[in-house]
Amino acid sequence: MGEYLLEVRDLKTYFKVKAGRVRAVDGVSFAIKPGEKVGIVGESGCGKSVTALSLMRLVEQPPGEYAGGSILFDGQDLLELPESAMRKIRGGKIGMIFQDPMTCLNPTMTVGKQIAEGLKIHLKLSDGQAKKRAIALLEQVGIPAAAERANSYPHQFSGGMRQRVMIAIALACNPKLLIADEPTTALDVTVQAQILELINGVCNEFGTAVILITHDLGVVAGMADRVVVMYAGKVVETAPTDELFANPRHPYTLGLLASVPRLDEARESELKTIEGAPPDLLKPPPGCPFMPRCAFARAICRTMPPLDPLAGKATHFKACWVDVTDPKEQAYAEKRRQVRAEAMKAAIKASTEATLQQTS
Amino acid sequence: MGRYIIRRLLQAIPLMILLSIFLFTLIHLMPGGPEGVLFNPRLSAAGRAALRANFGLDDPPWLQYFKWVGRMLVGDFGTSFTTYQPVSGIIAARFPATLELFGFSLFLALIVAIALGMISAVRHATLTDYLVTTLSYFGLSMPIFLLGLLAQDIFGVQLHILPTSGTSTPGYVFDPFNAFLDHFLHLLLPMLVLSITFIAGWSRYMRSSMLDVIKQDYMRTARAKGVPFVRILIQHGLRNALIPLITVVAIDFGAVAGGAAVTEGVFAWPGMGLLFIESLDARDYPVLMAMLVLGAVFVIAFNLIADILYAVMDPRIRYS
Amino acid sequence: MDVPHRLNVTNVPEEEIEPFLDVTPELVQKRRSQGRIIFDRFIRHRAAIAGGIFLIVMFLFCFAGPLFWRIDPDLIPDNVITARFTPPDLAHPFGTDSVARDELARAIAGGKVSLLVALTSMAGAILLGIGIGSFAGFYGGILDNLLMRFTDVFLAVPLYLLLFVLSATFTDGSPASVVILIAIFGWTYAARLVRGEFLALRDREYVLAARTIGAKNLSLMFRHILPNAAGPIIVNATLLVGANVILESIMSFFGFGIKAPNPSWGNMVADGQGYFDRAPWLVFVPALLIFFTVLSFNLVGDGLRDALDPYMTER
Repeated sequence: MGEYLLEVRDLKTYFKVKAGRVRAVDGVSFAIKPGEKVGIVGESGCGKSVTALSLMRLVEQPPGEYAGGSILFDGQDLLELPESAMRKIRGGKIGMIFQDPMTCLNPTMTVGKQIAEGLKIHLKLSDGQAKKRAIALLEQVGIPAAAERANSYPHQFSGGMRQRVMIAIALACNPKLLIADEPTTALDVTVQAQILELINGVCNEFGTAVILITHDLGVVAGMADRVVVMYAGKVVETAPTDELFANPRHPYTLGLLASVPRLDEARESELKTIEGAPPDLLKPPPGCPFMPRCAFARAICRTMPPLDPLAGKATHFKACWVDVTDPKEQAYAEKRRQVRAEAMKAAIKASTEATLQQTS
Repeated sequence: MGRYIIRRLLQAIPLMILLSIFLFTLIHLMPGGPEGVLFNPRLSAAGRAALRANFGLDDPPWLQYFKWVGRMLVGDFGTSFTTYQPVSGIIAARFPATLELFGFSLFLALIVAIALGMISAVRHATLTDYLVTTLSYFGLSMPIFLLGLLAQDIFGVQLHILPTSGTSTPGYVFDPFNAFLDHFLHLLLPMLVLSITFIAGWSRYMRSSMLDVIKQDYMRTARAKGVPFVRILIQHGLRNALIPLITVVAIDFGAVAGGAAVTEGVFAWPGMGLLFIESLDARDYPVLMAMLVLGAVFVIAFNLIADILYAVMDPRIRYS
Repeated sequence: MDVPHRLNVTNVPEEEIEPFLDVTPELVQKRRSQGRIIFDRFIRHRAAIAGGIFLIVMFLFCFAGPLFWRIDPDLIPDNVITARFTPPDLAHPFGTDSVARDELARAIAGGKVSLLVALTSMAGAILLGIGIGSFAGFYGGILDNLLMRFTDVFLAVPLYLLLFVLSATFTDGSPASVVILIAIFGWTYAARLVRGEFLALRDREYVLAARTIGAKNLSLMFRHILPNAAGPIIVNATLLVGANVILESIMSFFGFGIKAPNPSWGNMVADGQGYFDRAPWLVFVPALLIFFTVLSFNLVGDGLRDALDPYMTER
């Protein structure tokens, strides 16, 4: 058992396609204590959603496959469980909410029945008991006139309300872990804050651990105890939230944080981006996946760096050979950026000339 | 929802009116005009004159139209050329046989089509799926009369196990149980042939509808709740997949008035369809026109039923 | 672990700056043309290809066939009594019928008629459908309402019944009359389809853009919107041919469509039906021809639908 509720060790989830195997999750490891809130951040396609689905074993088996690693939950390896046992865990011990509440609810079933469904399956409640508890849950997530609304259909609710219903469904059987996959991305900004507060409040009250998946650093800053940064199917850095924001050590994390516009920046300054594009997960380059876009890259980066703790900070891990705080490394990186900018300009010029030649 | 039904009913009325005008115009366009359609060709000149007055054929067209509609509304569809009986009585007598044939076929086809569609969708891209899809292609590409002929040949002539026409074996008097059995055996072939025609189209539709539903996010939510597979399939999958299917079924069924003629024709099943073919051969226009009108009413009625069923089954329509 | 975490930069010479792996932006990308993409997707459908090949063979059979198989389909030989009902052999690959006419020649002639009827009636129906549907969908409002009520009336009448009555009354058994009849009632689905497409497409940006440079309505409808609506129309047209073959064969079978002396697959089945015990091939030849032709049209139509659907993922 140990002190961890969930231990993911070297999880690998691949997808078989005609051209080969897409390595969506390629050796991800992290751990969560009971009641802890962990945020997983990364850009689209970095594998965070697939990680979440893998935890629940919801990945479609063909074309997906669990190619390696283990997921230890409450002492059991979820990847080894038979399907019937896994079904008891889904909804019973681990709850999940998804991004788009409109499409995630059955349009032909009342909201109350959808909540009660899980209760009847996992807690073996009778119809009457389940209904009562469903109404209580609706109240808890902040739906007014819960008793009447339980008989309404999903399309009669607004986006924020629907997400509350999803939370009620996920937490109905009092699971130990809640996985929230981009729960606020599809909502208005004002509603986002409400939903996050709700998740925070309810999970604090019941001691539910939370995995919050998002590409929005702001969301993570407000809610998570710890942050896991993913890139191209791998974990590149993980640290307690405050520590990560104050002291980022991976070039990718640096890029992420720098790309968020700040209120105290000069208005006319350019928006900072991370040059380049995410790698092809079908044929990932060997070594560190961020290398093609990394200003700090060195020859050694052709070998994948291990996820190791920083010297002196046992809770802060990074997967990088370079110490980005070293001013010499920073100078090197700056020089590389300049070289690249020059090369880009030259290439665009050449390409434009070539196109003009073609058309004339 | 009551308002929705009333609205649809009201929309159907102008359609009926337009339709009646259409058919009325048709009667007048037929060779010989309305006289050719309404009057028995063997009438004497004096008889004709009397009927002209009776039908008001010297009245202006719009008056004729209203009188015609008026007559139909009270069930007067004229008199058959061949049997001199009131048309409404003739049709009513043939109605039960058609109802029997189509009722059972519909029931069987619905069950089989839903089952096949579901299996095909769940076992998508496997051998079962390909088999079912291929069979439904075959069914769709085969005209009913061919299927009927084939069935008659194989089961009736070659294997000699099923009767191929009529509703009962002529010349025998059975006790009730055997009479029932005999009747049932006669029903079997036409019912199966008709069902196959329905199943071919409906199972494809069900499969495609089910495939769409399976891809939906709420199926994933149900799995994330730990709901067992069969329950997901039925409560979440079928409930949503059936909605578009049921409307197609209702509309198809309404359009089937034509199919009745073909199937009953091939199997000599004494229903309204066979009546239609017999009347065609005899150029018995009063019967033909009456069947056209009734057929159209049938189609419109079932379209209405389709819309209502859709509203009943889909809460998004019901409460919007 | 002997790989150091930090590198001593002062010892790294300038030239060893690690080059970025992707510098050239792809401003000019090679893309397959729209047509090529559609063609590739169609090819992937083996069944549709099989259907397409069969149709090509069938068309050659019916239209180029008479050049190779010279026997006259209407020829009744002198030795009728002995020559009739011969089973398929080298002289008569499809056998002979009740009056000793060569069945293969009849199949070719009948195929020509059946296919031509199906195709022309499809063309007529599609043209009518585009005509009505485009105006209804483009202008909307009252015109749309009127046209759609009009369409509804045609849709409400039971098709077979009306066709039977009309063909019994009006036609003379010639293919032309059958074509007109089928076309008159076949346009309804296409009209609905076209209307739907036009309704959806007329508010797209490119239409607006064309309007701003002064394009007139007719030009908008037929040069801008119609080509984009072409996909579903083509699919519908293909499937419609198959449906028309069936329709014509049913009508001819019951004696209301194409009548003797014009051969068609439908009335050939009717002719052969009475002699089924003696000469089953008289039914099977036209029946199988109908079946495989319609099947091929359905397969090709479905293949086109899959190829033209922009939202389809791998199924």
